[in-house]
Amino acid sequence: MKDHDATLEPDPVIEAYKKDVDRTLIRENLRLSVEERFEKLMQLQEFAEELRRAGQQARQP
Amino acid sequence: MTTNFRELLQTLVTGNVEFIIVGGVAATAHGSARLTEDLDIVYRRRPENVARLVAALLPYDPYLRGAPPGLPFKWDQRTISNGLNFTLITALGAIDFLGEITGGGNYDDLLPHAIELQVFGLNCLCLGLERLIHVKRAAGRPKDFEAIAELEAILEERRQKP
Repeated sequence: MKDHDATLEPDPVIEAYKKDVDRTLIRENLRLSVEERFEKLMQLQEFAEELRRAGQQARQP
Repeated sequence: MTTNFRELLQTLVTGNVEFIIVGGVAATAHGSARLTEDLDIVYRRRPENVARLVAALLPYDPYLRGAPPGLPFKWDQRTISNGLNFTLITALGAIDFLGEITGGGNYDDLLPHAIELQVFGLNCLCLGLERLIHVKRAAGRPKDFEAIAELEAILEERRQKP
């Protein structure tokens, strides 16, 4: 198995989007193990769910 | 409802299902900071694997995600064999079973580009970062542009590390 393809040619549209990528978050994640990244994702999901619930509650008359 | 990635992966791995993690969870494995809510996997379409997939998920009541209740959807080998890609909700959360993906093909096409992941004490396969970028580019969906940009930035960061 390989994690290596032919070099990706730069895409001008993607390059434009790349300027806005927060690389500090990426660097922080790359310091974590894969398992820690998954745990973080699940915590983020729970937080998003809680925010949705709170938003729904706030919209109720 | 949140998706229990740990339990879902455990269910598939202990059920000996042959699959490759793709999509947002694969991006997370590679270091993405973006939120994803479902597990996308490409499963091998061989009959014995489809049977294992059916058996593994059956206890978790898979049903078509977003569909009205009461549709005659039956989670069995025939349903999977007659279809290809399934967007499902289960008792463990949201999961997409994909027979093939745009720009990537099927399980056997993706296998040479998969990496082995050790997560939650399990060994599973995940699409490699460069191939993940390739398939997301091939899909050409504007909603993926930010995700692709982040994945390419991850690739650059990784290449810069000694």
